This record gives sequence, structure tokens and C-alpha cells, in this order.
Amino acid sequence: MKGNRLIVAGVDIGAATTKAVILNNANKVLSFSIIPTGHNVVQAGEEVLSIALDKAAFSREEIRYIVSTGYGRRAVAFAHKAVTEIICHAAGVSSNMAQARTIIDIGGQDSKVIGLDDGGNVINFVMNDKCAAGTGRFLEVMAGVLDLEINDIGSISLMSENPCTISSTCTIFAESELVSLRAEGRTREDLLRGIHNAMSHRVAIMGKSVGYREEVVFTGGVAMNMGIKKALEDEIGLPIQVPEEPQIMGALGAAILAKANLEKEFRE
Amino acid sequence: MSNYYDDLLQLCGWEIEEIENERPRIEKTFQRLELGPEDMETADAWVRQNHDVTLMGVRKLLGAWLKELIDLILAKDEGKKIVYYSFPTVVRPGMLIAASAEGTYVGGPDVILCHTMGQIFNKLTPILEAGEENGLPPGHALCSIWQVKVGALAKGIIPPPDMAIASSYFCDMGSKADDLLAEIYGTPIEYVDGTMDSAWGEYPDYLPERAEFLGAQFNQLFDKVKEVMGFEVDFKAWDKMMPTIRQYFGDLYRIFELMQADPVPVSSVEVELASILAVACTGRGIAEGAKAIKILIPEIEKRVEENMGVAEKGAPRVMIVLPSFSDPSIVRMIENTGLAIPICALDVRVQPPPPKVQHNTVGERIADGEIRGGVGLFHSSFGTCHRMAANLEQVKGIDGFIYNYQFNCRPVAQVSHSLKRWVEEKTGVPCLSLENDIGDSRSYSAAAMRTRVETFAEMLKTRKVAN
Repeated sequence: MKGNRLIVAGVDIGAATTKAVILNNANKVLSFSIIPTGHNVVQAGEEVLSIALDKAAFSREEIRYIVSTGYGRRAVAFAHKAVTEIICHAAGVSSNMAQARTIIDIGGQDSKVIGLDDGGNVINFVMNDKCAAGTGRFLEVMAGVLDLEINDIGSISLMSENPCTISSTCTIFAESELVSLRAEGRTREDLLRGIHNAMSHRVAIMGKSVGYREEVVFTGGVAMNMGIKKALEDEIGLPIQVPEEPQIMGALGAAILAKANLEKEFRE
Repeated sequence: MSNYYDDLLQLCGWEIEEIENERPRIEKTFQRLELGPEDMETADAWVRQNHDVTLMGVRKLLGAWLKELIDLILAKDEGKKIVYYSFPTVVRPGMLIAASAEGTYVGGPDVILCHTMGQIFNKLTPILEAGEENGLPPGHALCSIWQVKVGALAKGIIPPPDMAIASSYFCDMGSKADDLLAEIYGTPIEYVDGTMDSAWGEYPDYLPERAEFLGAQFNQLFDKVKEVMGFEVDFKAWDKMMPTIRQYFGDLYRIFELMQADPVPVSSVEVELASILAVACTGRGIAEGAKAIKILIPEIEKRVEENMGVAEKGAPRVMIVLPSFSDPSIVRMIENTGLAIPICALDVRVQPPPPKVQHNTVGERIADGEIRGGVGLFHSSFGTCHRMAANLEQVKGIDGFIYNYQFNCRPVAQVSHSLKRWVEEKTGVPCLSLENDIGDSRSYSAAAMRTRVETFAEMLKTRKVAN
């Protein structure tokens, strides 16, 4: 591993989690790390990179180029370049799944639908405006109301036989609606399926302006929720692929762009 | 004797003699606006951050806005009668009324406050909050421009008008907000009743009856001016006024021409100062603005000669609809992503379709012009799409279009997503639909907006390289 010294990194500082990927010049992921972002994005960036470097047994000095991404991308003082998470997700997904033409990315604070051309370039995109409905935060709030772990709600929702209808598109109003439905004696499976359907419906409508073309790839932390994946597939009428590590696609893309920038510098 | 505001006014292009001559008026105005020494420091930093103060023409434009602000604030104290018109409707009748009346202040106070209390002092929020507390509450998607107007009246910043002109031929919220003026201040409101009904696909065709109806409403307005204000609207005033207007816009178009250079020589925020001044003011602001533009033109010409610009040569060139009235940092953010903004959509001069009938009255002629090519066409969703595509076809070398729409303005917001698809299909120019608020920077997340714009910039750069 140490024989190949063109090592680059991508750091993705998201609203909920911060991710880092260490990559070699053969585009092989040497290591990655994921930590909660917490209150200090600068510290989160330092820490996540340090963990990833430890895992790969490299030092900071050996990293030749770093690209930062995510909401906190500008806070990463050690990065050589900051690139938006939309561009990075496209690069990360395309490197793994060359047939991808649509990315649905749902993170802690926002959701995006990204259209790609045959070369993996972004040709269209849409993001949610302001509102938390349609984001990971929405699911966290609902899981909290039902006193469940966020990682468990997707599988529980799939056991529903009679999904509730959650009509509110606002997180706070949906929470009130959930409390009322719970008081009516609806099962948690049905409540959760209703929540998953409501959120997926919102994201699916948002992405219509971009259009859904196969292959559709689902990234971000929420992509690990199989309930949302199923609900989204039902909404858009297409199968959805989930990468092995959907959370790190932004950081991976950042690392790939870091490598591309480094190679460009060499050429120049 | 200098005072705490002297440096800022000089930064905004005022001569020392002008400051000396106007000290009592300046102090009275700043007192009413609750602007003290700390506000001057904030303003100094804000202006330097967002405007190119190495250009005297830009400084003079800022100064022109301040002079108009003083005239507005003190109009009643100085014994003037006051007419407020709504932006963007009723601008042309407003200008005609202004040209007919000596000793009457005529203007669009909300737009003036956005450009001064927002762009210069970065202190618009208390006025917006006063609007929210006085009939236009937050969280109801109400237009910030109207919140500014109502808030400024409620705070006693601007004087209640003797007459306010409202119309829904573009903006339905304006006439509703002006209801509040009547309720709170007993202000006589003259409604120019308009029609927003327009079928998809109709434009550039239109029913001549609509122009006749709107024209009759304008004519009725002129009669009302005589009744309420006591002077007659002089239709020959139009002819007297036109040379000045033509000169102003002729010089403005010279700036638009210069902005087509590569690299784009100055920021779009500087051009906006000049172009909106002409529709928000009818008095000293426009006269001072005309002088400022004359100073700015050779400064920009020099930049073009020297290949100086705000974006790199060869940068992707985008058209936006309109910069923010109150917060120039938004356009600066777009430019900082490496995009050049050579022109705004509303500044493109597209030849309107010919009139369907010859009208006999001034009101009808104004109305016909509004429907064919003025803001009146924007009430038609199809007209808006048609116009934006025509703009992109007319201005050469545009790589992308940012449809930065006012999120709470139905005529422009409702069409935003279909417009993106329509424009992309018709012109092949990628379009970013960007939610915005030209009067209230509290309404959006700068970080989320930046992510969209940076991604769009990256898309355009990749596309430009590929092509």
C-alpha cells in the first residue's frame, strides 16, 4: 500500500455527519471514516481525516491533494479546493456505477435529485428549499416521537399492512399528525410506512423537473433505510440501486476530484 | 464642520459642498431613520464589500439614491404633496404625474428604502419587522417590498402620501397591501384595475379590449389626480419629459453594450443601481443618476480597453432576471463562483409586437405598451416564458440563465419550473431556477443558494470546455 505514494483525500462535512475517504492513484479506496459533525465543523474535518489516515496508515504530510465538500466545505482550511456536494456525489457515483443517470441523495438537512450525462457530468439538479420535510432530519424527528432508533425504522415500516396517510408536508405538522394517529391506535408499522411514503412522495415530486432515468442511484445516509428505498421505487416506478457505502459517495467524489486536480497539476 | 456621516456620504460620491449645503436635511433624515455613527461604520464596510468604490460613477449612483431618500423622507416636512406609485406597475403613469406637478413628490418609496437602508446601510430588517407587525405578518409568503412600505409608514420613517396608486395588472399583493394604507392612514388609494387573465400560448397576441380597459383605468387615474391633488395631468408633459428619459436610457444602454465585453467590466450590482433608479424615482434621484451614468461610462470604457473585469476572460456568461434590491451580496456571490453576468433579463430591449389598434388616449397608449412589452406581459406565464427565451436569443454568447425569482411573487414564482423547461427546450441554454427575495435576505439560506449556484457554475464550465 505504501508503495503507491500519490495519495489524495476527500472530506465531506454534512449537516449530520462528516466523512473522509483516502484514495490512491488507482482509484482504490484505502480507508474511510464517518463521524457526527457536531457543533464544530473545523474540528470535525480535522478529526475525520485523522481517523481515515490512521486506518490507512498514512500521515497528513503524505496526502498530496484534498478536496472538501458538503455544507462545511469552506471551513476546511487544509483542503486545496472546495467543491459542491452535488458535483462530488456525481463523481463518486459515476466512479462506482458508470450506468448511473439519476442520483437521489437524501442527507441530514437536504435532499437532491441529480441528472447525469453519459460521461457522469451533472446536467441538471434540484434541491429542496428550506424545509426539512424530505430530509434525514424529518425521519429523525419521527423516530424520536415513536421512541425508536433511526436505524430501525426502515425495516419496521416494511412490515406495515395498512399504511397511514400522512398529509402534512411540514416536519412539525407531520409530527402533530403522527401523534394524533398514534392516539387513534394505529400500529407503529403503519405509522412508519405512512411517514416513509410521505417523505418519498415529496422527494419524488421535487425530482420530476430533473426526470428519472435509469439507472437510478440512491445516496446519502437515508439510502441505508430500506423503507425509503422501497417507497421511492414505488413512487418513481423504477428500480433503485444503493451503493455499498451510500454515505461516503460525496467524500469519495471529492477524493476522485482531488486526484483529477493533482493529475492536472502534474500535466501543467 | 464635519460630522459622523461625512465620510460615508463622500464614499457615496457627495461633494463636500453638497454635504455642507444639506446638513440640516441630512441630519433630520438620519435622525428619523435612526442612523447613528455606528451605522455609518457598518455602511462603510457593507458598501466597500459589495460595490466597486474605485469607480466614481458607482459612488455617485449610490449618492443619487441617498439624495432621493432624503427628498422622500422630508417631502411632507417641506410642504410637498406626495404620490406613491407601486413597483413595478404604474411606473409610467407615475412618471407622467411627476412631470405634470411642481412641488409634488412622486416615487416608489419601498424600492428607494431597499436600495438605501438595504444596499447602503444594511439595516432594512427593522423596517421589514415593522411591516410584519402592522398587517403583513411573517410566514405567510407576503411580499417583502410591501412589508417595507407598510413598515416604513408604521415606523413614521416615510410620510403618509396624499395619494397612493395601486394596480393588480402585474402584482395582486400590492393592491392588497395598499388596502392597509387606507385602513391605517386614511390614504386615498386609486386603483388601476387590471386583468391578469391570459391564456397559455396567447402572447404575443392579446385582446385589444384589455388595453382599452386598462387604458380607461389609467385615464380615470389622471382624472382622480386632479380631484385629489388639485393639478391636471399634462399630457404634453410626456413630450417634455421624453428627451430626459431618452437620454437616461440611451446612456444606460451604452453601459449595457459595454457589459457585453469579455471579461465583463463591472459587477451587475452597479448596473442595477442605475437601471432601477430610473423606475423608482422621478425627481432628484433620476437627475443625479443621469450625471452619475455620464461619469461611469468612460470609467467602464477604460476597463474594457484594459481588459479588466469582475470575472475571468472566457468565464461562462449568465443572464439573471434582476439583482436583489436590498442585498448586493447575492449577485456578488454568483460572480464569485466564476460566472460573468453581462446583462439582466429585464434590461434586454426586445422589440415588442406591434399594437393591434391605434389608441387615441394617453392612458390607452401606456396600457397597450405595458401589455405588449412592459411589466404587463409578465402577468401572462406564457408571455414571461416567451420574453425570457427572446432575451436569451437576442443577447449573444449567453451560456446559462439563472431565473432568480421572488418566491412570494405569484406572476414570476408560479411559472418558475415550467419556465426552466420551456426556456431550455426553446433555446438550449441551461436554466437554474433560484428562489430568492429581492427585499428580504432573511428569506433564504445563503449556504444552500451558494451550493446551487456553484454547482450550476461547474456545470456551465464543464459544458463550455466540452463545446
